[in-house]
Amino acid sequence: MRTGPIALRLARRELRTGLKGFRIFLACLALGVAAIAAVGSVSSAMMAGLEGDSRRILGGDVALRMVHQPAPPEALEYLEASGDVSTVVSMRAMARGDGGETSSLVELKAVDDPYPLVDTLDLDRDMTLADALAPRDGVHGAVAEESLARRLEIAVGDRLRLGESTLELRALITTEPDRLVNFASFGPRLMVSDAAVAETGLVQVGSLVRHYYRIVLPAGADRQAWIADLEERFPDAGWRLSSLENATPGYDNFVSRVTLFLTLVGLTALLVGGVGVAMAVRSYLDGKTETVATLKCLGAPSGLVFRTYLLVVCILAAAGTAIGLAVGALAPMVAAQLAAPLLPFAIPVAVYPAPLALAALFGMLTAVAFSLWSLGRVCEVKAAQLFRSAIAPLGGWPRLPYLVALVAAIGLLAALAIFTASDPWLATAFIIGSVAAVALFLAASWVIMTLARKAGRPRDPELRMALANLHRPGAPTPGVVLALGLGLTVLVTIALIQANLSRQVDERIPDVAPAFFFIDIQPHQTDRFLELLRGIDGVGNIQTTPMVRGRITHLNGQPADEASVAPDASWVLRGDRGLTYSATPPENSEVVEGTWWPADYAGPPLVSFDANLAEGLGVGIGDTMTLNILGRPMTVEIGNLRKIDWGSLGMNFTFVFAPGTLEAAPHSVIATVHVDDPSLEAAVQRAVTDALPNVTAIRVKDALEGANRILSAVSIAVRATAAVTLVAGTLVLAGAIAAGHARRVRDAVVLKVLGATRMRIVKIYLLEYGLLGLSTAAIASLVGSIAASVVVVQVMRGDFVLPPGVLALTALLAMGITVSFGFVGTWRALGQRPAPMLRNE
Amino acid sequence: MNPSSAEPIVHLKGVTLNLRSGAGEVNVLRGIDIDVAAGEAVGIVGPSGAGKSTLMMITAGLENPTAGSVRVAGTELVGLDEDTLARFRRDNVGIVFQAFRLVPTMTALENVAVPLELAGRSDAFEAAAEALDRVGLSHRVEHYPEQLSGGEQQRVAIARAVVAKPRLLLADEPTGNLDGATGEQIIDLLFGLARDDGTTLMLITHDMDLADRCGRTVKVADGRVVEDTARPHADQAAE
Repeated sequence: MRTGPIALRLARRELRTGLKGFRIFLACLALGVAAIAAVGSVSSAMMAGLEGDSRRILGGDVALRMVHQPAPPEALEYLEASGDVSTVVSMRAMARGDGGETSSLVELKAVDDPYPLVDTLDLDRDMTLADALAPRDGVHGAVAEESLARRLEIAVGDRLRLGESTLELRALITTEPDRLVNFASFGPRLMVSDAAVAETGLVQVGSLVRHYYRIVLPAGADRQAWIADLEERFPDAGWRLSSLENATPGYDNFVSRVTLFLTLVGLTALLVGGVGVAMAVRSYLDGKTETVATLKCLGAPSGLVFRTYLLVVCILAAAGTAIGLAVGALAPMVAAQLAAPLLPFAIPVAVYPAPLALAALFGMLTAVAFSLWSLGRVCEVKAAQLFRSAIAPLGGWPRLPYLVALVAAIGLLAALAIFTASDPWLATAFIIGSVAAVALFLAASWVIMTLARKAGRPRDPELRMALANLHRPGAPTPGVVLALGLGLTVLVTIALIQANLSRQVDERIPDVAPAFFFIDIQPHQTDRFLELLRGIDGVGNIQTTPMVRGRITHLNGQPADEASVAPDASWVLRGDRGLTYSATPPENSEVVEGTWWPADYAGPPLVSFDANLAEGLGVGIGDTMTLNILGRPMTVEIGNLRKIDWGSLGMNFTFVFAPGTLEAAPHSVIATVHVDDPSLEAAVQRAVTDALPNVTAIRVKDALEGANRILSAVSIAVRATAAVTLVAGTLVLAGAIAAGHARRVRDAVVLKVLGATRMRIVKIYLLEYGLLGLSTAAIASLVGSIAASVVVVQVMRGDFVLPPGVLALTALLAMGITVSFGFVGTWRALGQRPAPMLRNE
Repeated sequence: MNPSSAEPIVHLKGVTLNLRSGAGEVNVLRGIDIDVAAGEAVGIVGPSGAGKSTLMMITAGLENPTAGSVRVAGTELVGLDEDTLARFRRDNVGIVFQAFRLVPTMTALENVAVPLELAGRSDAFEAAAEALDRVGLSHRVEHYPEQLSGGEQQRVAIARAVVAKPRLLLADEPTGNLDGATGEQIIDLLFGLARDDGTTLMLITHDMDLADRCGRTVKVADGRVVEDTARPHADQAAE
């Protein structure tokens, strides 16, 4: 310790006392860094897993998807000349047990002989897929997921019905190489040959069928050049092309959104931890004023003092960050274990340096930013203090250069958060929200302290002393209110959002939602369909609407993939959307701009569009959109904009065309059916699917159960991350109590000397912490409710209600935390006997 | 030594210090004039609150006077910025406090070496070891302050104050926290070192016996010098 720059030498000597007083500092930093490092590492691992398996998931080097109709023969010819091609047809359909007693919605997949081009499909029987699907005695074979056999109450070897044909279940699917778990998967997989599906009568004009073409190019072929050539040859083919680079856009998008969200929660934990860091550094430097004064007396300039203690903070921060990184780096291993049964790809367990480096940078910057205030103040310690018996704690404002450095560090932290986020706008909003929340909590703590000061002198001495403890100089009130308040706010926000979503799914939707969606009704079957249902007692409102699918290709003549659109509207450009037409305004929506067309409209193509999406896409009345419908481009003008109530779960369409445009396009009809008594649902479903086997029934209840399952799975992850923030807040509270321990012991001793019983002293502290917890909970509930209502109303476009249970629970939790930590601290203080301490004074 | 025969090492002229407090303005020093010659040992005495420590702070460049001139070792201290004053102290002034003021995280050797390290001396630790040897603590170099007795801690503080061979040694009640016998030893040590190095010594005390060992006693009361007595047979810092 005798070499190196003097600041480093002094810093190393200062660190000889070990981690005393820095445990909370380390814990706060390690926790925040661990959260960010873990989220980043798991996300990188998932992306690496998706990328590593992208060829298998895609089913080839390039995949084309078409809706409603197959690729034109000349395109298919070209594909076949380019490499190996496999054609897959996929749709939703109803499968029924051979006796007709049981039925289930299935995700049907019809495959050709070359399928699968990449990897293999495993069956539970010793046979090839081709053998399993081949016709035997005039009956086509089928393979299915085990859950379908269970639902239809059949076994391998039994028969089942699909559309108008009968199939034999030959084997169960063990692994399907190209199946990604899809949130919109409603039923189990049923796989048949392309020849078999042709006989079912399911593939009709307008039915919702997807045709996939997977291509494996010859080794050494230039994939990009081939794709460019394909797009040039068939510019209007209307297919959606996926390549290895974007094999799983839905998943990538989902992973990146969840990563962003959890990273922001991690940053909140780090922010709360930052408060702990600031309090720990302040308390540490408060104890260092004599050393600083001595060093200054011996000739140390302020700059050297600053550098020395900045180094102390940096060295300790590096230790805390390293602990956090170690925990975060192990996260992919844990995620791989936990997620293995849920994900269709393996999570590669490795150390991902990029997210770890980012987390480290966040950790170090947070530590420095939150220490600068105290570091700047310690430079102002006057050596003249050494001539006085008591050394005063730090006070006053740091000098301008330190304030500039402080602002720069916070700016850097914010910039890092914004520029590394996949959605910089959301990150910016988060930063602004955080700054506002911090300001609000600081203001609130000022109000609490002022009220405590102005409360006068209550008769109850314990209450009087508790109030005095809240506002005395050096009281930990601001730090505790800020840190615990932020932690509680995150928890309240998430709990309220979740409560509102659950209410939506559990209570509101079932009241208004139909019992069934029926899809793929052929226009000529509509009358028969209505007749069937009206013949059943208890069937309520039935609505039918024509539907065809189409995809936006251009906005005002500009290719859609080049348009700059708001992130929350980009989904509408990504895939095929349902289109309908109507002479009258649809229910559940309201024209907010422009006017609805006359019922006998007969002019150029007009469309009524969703007002929110129009804003997101930057289009309005008079602008044009070009849609690819069944392979043909169609340009329409926006005639009016509607506000749509999606929560009704009724028949809502983003695009409603004016009469005269879509009628000629081949389309099917979809229907919603309300049933008065849920016990009738099975009968309704059987009546329709028996008579019209090509029609598919989707039970809304099943879909909602699926949504609930996803919601509860996601909410566990979200709550766990939010809990990290509360743990950070609790650490800060524990730190504040530990920092005040010496004062508390002294107070307790003096009170005992003056005749206070232990019960009375306990009452003072319980009152102090109870008041602190209650007021913090009140502010956190307010801020959390505002944040949650903004998310629910503005982002999710739902109604917001305030469940009192959530708020009561928050208050209880906050008081529980503060009072129990306060009590533990007090109990230790009470254990001190007065005599030894008084002798030492 | 006659204070007026050469340039004084300490020259205070009309030094006034007024501090604002909640109760209004307090006149801590009211026009102090003192000259101290090089090698002199001066005892500053006076009742509590007389302004002795403030006088010491101003002499060390730790406090700025409201008015007057403070010239130490040929440098006018009034108007210098804090860092320049810190460097000035490093090179010219050694201070011994009543409460020792050792850095608890440093060993005795490191505590003594700090002023030399701050001055960028490469032989800081050799010189510090030598200084500890002079105060009789060569066997305690690697001990931390809390492992030393009060007397030993004050010896370390004295070694630290003299290690850079300052021209002026300031001592503020150096025996105030020590028992009588230990205090005696410390004072002997302080005077001996100052004498050997030819260092000027200014000693604050309210112990008149101790003050009598100085060649000159300056009595301060109510912010003014009320008496300035020279004694030819006292312990001079330098003879």
